[in-house]
Amino acid sequence: MTIRHEERPVLTPHNLDETELLGLFRRMALLREFEERTAEQYARGRIWGFCHLYTGQEAVAVGAVSALTREDYVVTAYRDHGQAIAKGIDPKRVMAELFGKRTGTSLGRGGSMHLFDREVNFMGGYAIVGGHLPIATGLALAVQYREEDRIVATFFGDGAVAEGAFHESLNLAQLWQLPVVFVLENNLYGMGTAVERASATRDFHPRAEAYGIPGEAVDGMDVLAVREAVTRARDRALDGKGPSFLEMKTYRFRPHSMSDPGRYRTRGEVDIWRQRDPLRTFPERLIEEEVATREQIDVILGEVEEEVRECIAFAEESPHPEPADLMRFVWAADEPEGEDGP
Amino acid sequence: MIPSASHPVPSGTAGSPSGPDGSPDSQVPLRVLSPDGGLEGEAPDLSPTEREALYRQMSRLRAFDNRMINLQRQGRIGFYGPATGQEATTVGSAFALEAGDWIFPALREAGALLVRGYPLRKMVAQLYGNRADDALGHQMPCHYTARELRFVSMSSCIANQLPQAVGAAWAARIRGDRTVVLGYIGDGGTSEGDFHAAMNFAGVFRTPCVILCQNNRWAISVPVEKQTAVREIARKAAAYGIPGLQVDGNDVLAVVAATRAAADRARCGGGPTFIEALTYRAGPHTTSDDPTRYRASEEAGRWPDPIPRYRAFLEASGAWDEERERGLQAELEGEIDAAIEEVEAEPAPDPASLIEGVFATPPALLRDQLEEVLRPRR
Ligand SMILES: Cc1ncc(C[n+]2csc(CCOP(=O)(O)OP(=O)(O)O)c2C)c(N)n1
Ligand SMILES: Cc1ncc(C[n+]2csc(CCOP(=O)(O)OP(=O)(O)O)c2C)c(N)n1
Ligand SMILES: [Mg+2]
Ligand SMILES: [Mg+2]
Repeated sequence: MTIRHEERPVLTPHNLDETELLGLFRRMALLREFEERTAEQYARGRIWGFCHLYTGQEAVAVGAVSALTREDYVVTAYRDHGQAIAKGIDPKRVMAELFGKRTGTSLGRGGSMHLFDREVNFMGGYAIVGGHLPIATGLALAVQYREEDRIVATFFGDGAVAEGAFHESLNLAQLWQLPVVFVLENNLYGMGTAVERASATRDFHPRAEAYGIPGEAVDGMDVLAVREAVTRARDRALDGKGPSFLEMKTYRFRPHSMSDPGRYRTRGEVDIWRQRDPLRTFPERLIEEEVATREQIDVILGEVEEEVRECIAFAEESPHPEPADLMRFVWAADEPEGEDGP
Repeated sequence: MIPSASHPVPSGTAGSPSGPDGSPDSQVPLRVLSPDGGLEGEAPDLSPTEREALYRQMSRLRAFDNRMINLQRQGRIGFYGPATGQEATTVGSAFALEAGDWIFPALREAGALLVRGYPLRKMVAQLYGNRADDALGHQMPCHYTARELRFVSMSSCIANQLPQAVGAAWAARIRGDRTVVLGYIGDGGTSEGDFHAAMNFAGVFRTPCVILCQNNRWAISVPVEKQTAVREIARKAAAYGIPGLQVDGNDVLAVVAATRAAADRARCGGGPTFIEALTYRAGPHTTSDDPTRYRASEEAGRWPDPIPRYRAFLEASGAWDEERERGLQAELEGEIDAAIEEVEAEPAPDPASLIEGVFATPPALLRDQLEEVLRPRR
């Protein structure tokens, strides 16, 4: 069923049919389920080390990546499970990476913060706050130089805005009119530091003006709003009009990382934001506007539960990396051959 | 904008054409003197002696620059970076401070040191790096430092003085004293991450500082149009919640007015201000640079010289004339001659001082190297 404008004034501007709308929901539900089970596995000691969950921000990754093609590059920070899966990496391989297994996206040696898959042009999660922005900008320079028909979308947090690398990247991106979309996920905290303690300006999007880049605020809890904004920014970049800056207003429901007791904010604050949980509001909207039934939603939720169960089974059964490979896959000279490769 | 009754500044927007960044309006730079030196705005409150001192210091800096370039061409000093064309910005801004305020220079602020009363002889000594130099030749030429005058050493790394300046201002705020910090930056320096970190910090912690960008249109061979897509660097301040304004950097009275208002504001707890001074690097980047290879000589020929402009203002008010000018030039020549003569008579530093003054305790490796240097040659 295609939704026609007269009937569905809210959803139709996006020109999405029922399958596509349910697809967006399905991907968000998968990310949510994936992170919930990841937390469980972490508590059981199957996953260790740094691990930052994406719970609450699903509408950003899913909405933004849905506006991209497989050829478009994505570069993100350490809170990267959401973008990686949305970009099309098999979630089984993501889970295996979290388990440190040989079948993981980075052969088990990257872990949660260093997912990577060149096949789907997911060019990595990076642990240094803001450190990936020059990488994304450089990729965009390569795209422009080679006159390719694709763009770069890069995701980063409110904490990254204070980094020098952010400043240098935005300046050059606009100066050289590079095809890059800067997607700021303003979840109101950089670890335990609330944005009002880290920035003298309330909003970040007007800051884009300091570089001559158009900046815009977007409801990051609304998957369609995100998709729409990124679509426009992508079109601009493809038209040779240079970079865009999108500030996604979002929120993370869980602590910063698995080692954060979260004492810097109140339960009440989290509860208020949970009212706007995209996994609650989006299916409600689909049902209300008769795009889907409650039963269809429940079926999807059951399917993603099963899918994540399979991810965990896959990760558990996969082999550990070979100790003999310890020194490999680090330097270019040791570039793995054939099927061994990442 | 700086809210200060005594030093009104333009409210920011006038309907000039939109910039390449699509910004709707341009700011009107603060100006007191017209290009030919007529009084156009409200002059800052200065005594006749102070007015004359501004002129004397600008002329002194110009004369010094010219002579040092000659010395370099004669092979008597190794390197020099002139501030020709930027005299009004450096002299005016330093003049607007109080003696207890700290200055964190970028690379072209020797004029600020002159204003602080640093002896010209010591500047020459720094360039020779001989025994007359306080740092005994350890620093690169033109990297003056005068702790007693609260003038921090120049640093070769572009922009790293700004986080330090903001940090010093933060210290002043924590201590609750009335010190204000003036940090300089070039137009090229604004592309550095350190500029960004410093501005953000200044905005969040409302540190009592003035950040002054000398937009001289060039960063070595890179014109400002290739440095940033934003036409007015002052606009960048808004991104950090800091007031930003443009001032005609070739109008010494306007620079004094703007810096004084910003320093007053900082001193009263009003937080930081960003000033973009529009000026022009009339000479080469340094004596190792040949600007004819990257910019048209006509461009340099049209530069607005701040010194005759201010002189015209003084003459119109009867405070200056040809005779006084001749006297000043002779006086400056004498001062510079005497300084050079005195410094050139000094020997090179003792080789043993090579490793002194860098580490609290020189590491063994350096001591070994020094021993080798001092060992008599066979
Ligand atoms: C350069 C650098 N400084 C500090 C850290 C430690 N650190 C890790 S995450 C983080 C907070 C980043 O916050 P934000 O950018 O808002 O992203 P979010 O965690 O909210 O997704 C910090 C300070 C780091 N990884 N890199
Ligand atoms: C971090 C760093 N990068 C490069 C240089 C080389 N360099 C010296 S001066 C200069 C240009 C600075 O231009 P600007 O900030 O406009 O100051 P101006 O020379 O015009 O006074 C550069 C690139 C340096 N000293 N430090
Ligand atoms: Mg954050
Ligand atoms: Mg410059």
